[in-house]
Amino acid sequence: MKTDDINLAYKIRHALNENLDNLPASTTERLAAARAAALARKKADAPVRAAAQAGRQRPSFELRSVFAMPWLGRVAVIAPLVAMVAGLAGIYQAEHEQHAGDLAELDAAVLSDDLPLTAYTDSGFNAYLVQQQQQPQRAQ
Amino acid sequence: MATDKELNDFLESVERRAFKQAAYAVRKDEAALDIVQDAMIKLAEKYGDKPPAELPALFQRILQTTILDYFRREKVRNTWVTLFGGLGRRDDDDDDFDILNSYEAEEGTAAAESSADHVERAQTLQLIDDEIQKLPTRQREAFLMRYWQDMDVAETAEAMGCSEGSVKTHCSRATHTLAAALEAKGIKL
Repeated sequence: MKTDDINLAYKIRHALNENLDNLPASTTERLAAARAAALARKKADAPVRAAAQAGRQRPSFELRSVFAMPWLGRVAVIAPLVAMVAGLAGIYQAEHEQHAGDLAELDAAVLSDDLPLTAYTDSGFNAYLVQQQQQPQRAQ
Repeated sequence: MATDKELNDFLESVERRAFKQAAYAVRKDEAALDIVQDAMIKLAEKYGDKPPAELPALFQRILQTTILDYFRREKVRNTWVTLFGGLGRRDDDDDDFDILNSYEAEEGTAAAESSADHVERAQTLQLIDDEIQKLPTRQREAFLMRYWQDMDVAETAEAMGCSEGSVKTHCSRATHTLAAALEAKGIKL
């Protein structure tokens, strides 16, 4: 663009700025109200940042702080933890024993049965069982 | 990150120009005020945590989008109104006519109470205002962003969604059109 054109553009800019002062009061008031409404709905970054900093400064659990407590406080924190670990171990043990008992019962039932164990691996015996199951269905 | 005060100061510095810019585009003061309010709220809600340096370009982009949205809504509304009896067209004609008339009347009223110089100056400002409003939309947008909003060519191109070359062409054509129109009316700046 030529210098004359740029000069003209800036003179027009000056005129436009001058015209801004002639805006009606109702318009400027509406603009101020719009600005206030916008600020009220500003994206909240400050509370988030504050919460993040607070979280960083004071983590939810710190081992060092437990040992800094008086002995009663220490017991109050450690005892529930110990009880929880003991409880979990007890549950695991009970489950394990019950599982072993079930397996032993099954083994005893199989071993004490009239049918020899080798019968379960015999394919001819399986075919016989299938045939026996189908015969009552045909009869019905 | 922009603090509340920085955002407030920024909005205060641009709100009047944004209003005029929207009013040039939509030619209705009430609609222009709504557009500026929407743009301000969108900026605060979505980009309120951005650094203050980024706010001018973001706001200008949002303002342009909000003006476009207004025209889209108007188009849909006019289609429906036209379908139900063509009332929309008559209303629009009346609105345009009234706005132009009221501008002239207000100017006359204000001028009658002022000195001769004040009258002449006010008339010149009003003529410039009118000539800017008459510019083709893209030329007006480019001209106002470059020379009124202090945006550089790259920022203007980004806000308008066009190339930097197009911005320069639009600005040059707008300036020539304005120079010719003001000269034809005997106005010397």
